[in-house]
Amino acid sequence: MPVVTVNGRSVHIQELNKEAAETIVLVHGMFSNLSVYYFNIAPLLATKYHVVLYDLKSHGMSEKALTGYDLTSMTNDLLALLEALKLQKVHLGGYSFGGLIALKMAIRFPERINKLAVIEAPDPNDDKTRGIIDEYSREFLEHYVENFTDTTKVKMGKRQMERNHRMYEYLFYQTSIKTDMEFEKDFFGSPAIETIKKPALLLYGTDSNCLNAGKHLEGLIENASLSAVPGDHNIPIQQPLVIAEALLNFFQEK
Amino acid sequence: MDTITTKLSSEEIFNLMKQFITEVIGEEFVEEMDITPESSFTKDLEMDSIEIVSFSEKIKAHFGDQIDFTGWLSSMDLDQLINLNLGMIISYIEECQ
Repeated sequence: MPVVTVNGRSVHIQELNKEAAETIVLVHGMFSNLSVYYFNIAPLLATKYHVVLYDLKSHGMSEKALTGYDLTSMTNDLLALLEALKLQKVHLGGYSFGGLIALKMAIRFPERINKLAVIEAPDPNDDKTRGIIDEYSREFLEHYVENFTDTTKVKMGKRQMERNHRMYEYLFYQTSIKTDMEFEKDFFGSPAIETIKKPALLLYGTDSNCLNAGKHLEGLIENASLSAVPGDHNIPIQQPLVIAEALLNFFQEK
Repeated sequence: MDTITTKLSSEEIFNLMKQFITEVIGEEFVEEMDITPESSFTKDLEMDSIEIVSFSEKIKAHFGDQIDFTGWLSSMDLDQLINLNLGMIISYIEECQ
């Protein structure tokens, strides 16, 4: 398993087409892992680009961490990953919570970013987003697993359910993720977001409850364009090829 | 990493796949399962996508450039991936050898 050490912790990464001249780094969402890109999206992008995927802390096969889930810490980790891989400037894409990390990266380290792609990033001030964190329960987990994770179509067996349950329990009750997310609730309202000048593609599902967040971002970011594709918050799973092609076209545009 | 040069029989490939699955999900779970070429990854073996990533890694490490396992998987949609069974992987590896 390819692992790099970032800020003292081991991080699971996957790289495709290392020989390509330009690099795309993709960031997954909360309670997910790099496999959201691995099977369909990354291989298509890798026909033209070096693609780097990584598991966020406590997700997938990366090492667990009790603290540091605020966007500043998450972007410190991403910057350290770029350093570890000797990547000076990359195209950056993020899905859901990963989209927020990508936006924060473009605010803090614009010199390290070429173009920015944001898929279904929620407004952290939205009650529904924070509700996910507040309403946690076993019933909720089952509901969440059915509706919001990348395993949507698969009925989970006992081992998987327990594995996921352990991850949720760990993240919710042992780490600082809840308070760290509360801390970010004014992110879209901060003047910093309007300082983003990178060409930005905003990909949202036509039926997603995050679509308004996409419209909001389009108004805040000068060079952003919103593209709505059929589907809900799970568009990378529902429409992997549509998403992959939209990303490829966007990154290739001169 | 050990890259093999001799052709493996389908039984040898099957045993190797079983070994990789055991390494990925752990012996205690494999002991309770009856792994056959008909076993599907998601339904029978209950592997989730990140575990299939690890499994792919092991195939790549073992066979090297001989087979493009990720490329093969990327041609599948979600339904095909859900229905993927061991037998399909065994035939794919046999074809590539």
